Amino acid sequence: MATREVGSEGGDGALTEQFVAEWRNAAYNCYSSGHKFCREVCPVMQVTRDEAHTPTAFHANVVAMEQGHLSIEDVARDYVHCTQCGACELRCPNTLFTGDFYRFRTRTVDLVKAVRALAVESGVHQPGWQRWNELTDERKNEPVLNGTPVSQEHVADWADGLGLPVGGETVLFCDCEAAFYRTSLPRAVARILQAAGVEFGLMREQWCCGGPAAEMGYVDQARRFAEHNVADWRAVGAKRILVLDPHDYISFTEDYPRFFGDDYDFEIVLVVELVAELLREGKLTLSAPVDRVATYHDACRLNKRKGIYEAPREILRAIPGLTFKDVDHVTQWSYCSGAGAGLSIERPDLTAEISRRRVERAKRLEVDTLVSACVWSERPLSEQGESQDVEVVDLMELVAQAAGLEL
Amino acid sequence: MPTVTLSDALLDELVQICGEEHVFAGAAARFNRARVPSPFPVHRWDEFVPDAVVLPTSAEQISEVVKLANRERVPVVPRAGGTGLTDGAVPLRHGIMVDVKLMNRILELDLEDRTVTVQPGINMLKLSEELKPHGFIYPDNPASYPCSLVGGRIGTSGWSLIGGRYGHTRDLVISFELVLPTGEIVRVGDGGGPKVRKSSSGYQLKHLFMGHQGTLGIVTEATLELVKRPEAEFSAFYAYPSYLDAWRATGDFARSGAATLAGVVLFDEWKLAYLRRDDEAYIPQPESVKAVVALALYGNDDEVRASAKRMLRLGKASGGTYLGDEISQGDWASRHDRYATPLHGRTRDGQVVPMSWHCEDASILYSQLPAVREKWHAIAAGLRERFDMFDDWGMFAYTNGAFKPWGDYLTEIDIGIWEMQWDDESWAAWVDAKREIARVALEHGGSISACHGSCREGEVDLVPEELGGGFEVMKAVKRALDPNNVMNPGKYLLDRAYEEDAP
Repeated sequence: MATREVGSEGGDGALTEQFVAEWRNAAYNCYSSGHKFCREVCPVMQVTRDEAHTPTAFHANVVAMEQGHLSIEDVARDYVHCTQCGACELRCPNTLFTGDFYRFRTRTVDLVKAVRALAVESGVHQPGWQRWNELTDERKNEPVLNGTPVSQEHVADWADGLGLPVGGETVLFCDCEAAFYRTSLPRAVARILQAAGVEFGLMREQWCCGGPAAEMGYVDQARRFAEHNVADWRAVGAKRILVLDPHDYISFTEDYPRFFGDDYDFEIVLVVELVAELLREGKLTLSAPVDRVATYHDACRLNKRKGIYEAPREILRAIPGLTFKDVDHVTQWSYCSGAGAGLSIERPDLTAEISRRRVERAKRLEVDTLVSACVWSERPLSEQGESQDVEVVDLMELVAQAAGLEL
Repeated sequence: MPTVTLSDALLDELVQICGEEHVFAGAAARFNRARVPSPFPVHRWDEFVPDAVVLPTSAEQISEVVKLANRERVPVVPRAGGTGLTDGAVPLRHGIMVDVKLMNRILELDLEDRTVTVQPGINMLKLSEELKPHGFIYPDNPASYPCSLVGGRIGTSGWSLIGGRYGHTRDLVISFELVLPTGEIVRVGDGGGPKVRKSSSGYQLKHLFMGHQGTLGIVTEATLELVKRPEAEFSAFYAYPSYLDAWRATGDFARSGAATLAGVVLFDEWKLAYLRRDDEAYIPQPESVKAVVALALYGNDDEVRASAKRMLRLGKASGGTYLGDEISQGDWASRHDRYATPLHGRTRDGQVVPMSWHCEDASILYSQLPAVREKWHAIAAGLRERFDMFDDWGMFAYTNGAFKPWGDYLTEIDIGIWEMQWDDESWAAWVDAKREIARVALEHGGSISACHGSCREGEVDLVPEELGGGFEVMKAVKRALDPNNVMNPGKYLLDRAYEEDAP
C-alpha cells in the first residue's frame, strides 16, 4: 500500500460534482459531529484499525472531494472496507439524539453504496467485484460455489422431492447462497411452511435479487435483475413474497421500492417473522427436544438495518430442550460475520478475522452452537466454528429439527 | 512553515520497519489524519496533511521510526484516537504520522494487584467490556469514552466525568512505557515497579510525560488501575430559577464530603436554551427554569444509599426542583452523546445549519464562576454579531479535583461553529476570541485549560504568562529531550526552545 499517489483530479468531473451535490449536506452533518462513536462498533475498523475505513472518513471524503483535495480514484478502495451492517448509523449521536425532532438518520450505508456506484460509473473497478458481477450477469445467479458454475437449470435443485408448485399468490424467493450452497436452509423453510399449512410456490425463473450488485456499485445490473424478478412475480400472479435471507429482504424492501415507486405493490414477508407468528398461533408445534447450548448471532441486516431482533429470540425460546444463552441486540451492534456487501470477495482475510472474533465471543459463553438467521454469515462463521468447536446452524434448520421434520 | 516531502528512499525504510501493509502514502490515508474534532480551518486543509502514515505494531518499530526521523530531521506526529480538542494530533509541519490504533491489545490482567496492562490503541469502553466478566471497570470516562484511546488520554492528561470519585487519567495510569523523542524506550511511573502506586524514589517523571500533547514522546504500553464495578449508581438533576441559586447549590453538593460523589455539573441558562431547541427532556421545562445542577454518586450499595439521602436533603434545602427519575437517570446515562449535536446550530435568523461543537475549557475557581461566565458570554456574543457562523451553546461547570471536588471547576463555554463557512477573516476572529477567553481565565486566577490542553492558536500565546518560570523549564526540558525538534514540532510555542538565547 506504500505507493505514492498524488491527489489526482482525473475521472469524470461531472459525475463527481453531481455526487457531491447530493451528499454534501449529509457529509457536513457527520463532519460537524466529530464524535467518532461509530468507530469502535464498526466490525471492519475493529480489525483494520485504519482511520480511512471509518464512517467519519467516508463522510469527510465528500468534503475533501468538494474542495478538490481527493478524487474518486483516491478513495474508491477505502470504501471496500464496509459490510453495510448499519452499526455506525445506530451509534451515531446525530441519529440517537436528533432522529425524532429533525427526522434525521445518518445514512452511511447509502453513502457507501453511492460512492461505489460513482466508482463504477467512473470506470474505477475492484477486480473481484467486477468478475463477480460479470459472472452473475452471465449465469443470472451469484457464483457462490467458488468456481463451480451456477446456472438457471439448477436454481431449484434444492427443492427436489418437496413437491413445490411454480407460481401462486405466495412465492418463496430463495437466495443464491441458499439455493446453491446451504441447501439445508431452504429445505428446512419449505418443510416448516408445508407443516404449518402455508401454501406457496416457486418462481419460474429466479435470478439473483440484484442486491449484491447494488451493494458493490453495479446499479444498472441490479435494476435489470430486479426488473426480471418483478416481471416473473407478476407473470405467476404473485402478491406476497416470502424471503428467507436478510440481504434479499433489504433488496425487496429498500432497493425495489426505489426502482419501481408506487407500482411496486408486493407484500414482502420475512420467513423468520412468519414462523414466529405460526408458532404464536399454534399452527406450528415444536415438540422434539434439541439438546444444544446455543447463542444467537443477530443478523446485521435484521437487527441493525431493520430493527428485527425479537422474532428470532421468540423462536429460540420456543424450542424444547435448547439452552439459550442470549447476548442483547444492542451489544451485538458491534458484532458481524464480515460476509456482507462484498467484503468477503475483495478482502476474504478480513471476513475470516471478523468471523473468528464473532465465534470467539460465542465460545466464551460456553455454548456448542451459534445460531444465525442470515445464510451469508453461515459459511464464514462455520469455517471459524470448526476450529473453535462451535457448530453454526441456521435458525430454520433448528426449527425444522424441533418440529420433527426430515430435510 | 517548512514543508517536508519524504523521499521514496525514506518511505522504503518505513516499509522495512513497519511492513508494507502498515505504511500509507496515499492521499485519502493522509487527508483523513489531518484533523481532530476541535475547530479546523477546513479551507486550509492541505496545510495540515502528513507526508506518510505508519501503523506500527510494537514499541521497537516506533523507536526505529523515531530514530529515522532524527537522522532525516523529519517531524513525527503521534496519533491515537484523534479525538482531542486541542490539535495535539494535528500535523502542523507534515512529516511522519505514527498512528497507534493497531496496538490495542490487553497484555496482562492482574486481578491480585488490581492492574491491567494495555497497549495505547485500546479504547476505554472496549477495555471495560473485557473487564466486566471479572467485576472490574477502568473508570476513565471522558465525553469521548466510546472512541478515545488510552494513549491519547496520557498524551493529553485527560479528565474524567466521574473523576471526583475515581480520579482522572493521571490518577488511573500507574506507569507507562514510551519512546522518547530520540528513540530510546523508557518506562516511567509512580515508582520503580510498574504496578507501584506511590513512591518517593527519584524525580516524579510520570506527570512530566502526561499532557505534553505528543511533544515529548509516544506511549507504547500502560499499566492501569483496576476498579471494582460499583454496586450502585445514583444520579439527580435539579432545576433552579437563577444561575446564582444553582451555583450556590453546586457548592453545597460539592462540599458535602460524600466520598461517593463522582461529580457535580452546573448548566447555565444559555445551555438550557440550547437544549430547549430539541431535547425532549428540556422542551417541557417551564421558562422559570434558568439553570440545572446534576450530580452522580457511585460506590457500594450501602454507601450510595446513605449519601443519596444526604444529597436529596441538600437539594431540597437549596430550593431546587427535582426533575424526576427519567431525566436524572436517562440524561446521566446519555451524557457522552447528548450535549453536542450539529443540528442544534442556528444562524441569527433561526435557520438550522450543521455546526461543530467546540468546547473552550478552563479551570476556574468556584468563587469566580459567576464573573467568568458573564465575560465569556460577552466574547461569544461579539463573535456571533460579526459572523453568522458562530452560536453560543451555553456553559457547563464540572467539579474538577479528583477526590476533593470542591475548589475549582472544569468550566466550558460551548460554541457552535458552522465550519463550512471558514475563511481567513473568521478564523482570525476565532483565534482572537480564544485568546480573550483564555485571558479571562488567567485574570480570575484560573488555568487556560482543565483537560483539553492549551496549545491551540490564540490561547497558546498566553501559556508563557500562565506558567511563568515554569515555561522556561518546559523549553529546557524540550530541548534536552528532543535536540532536533522532531517530536510534534510547532506545538506549545516550543520552537522558542531552539532559538539562540533560549535556556
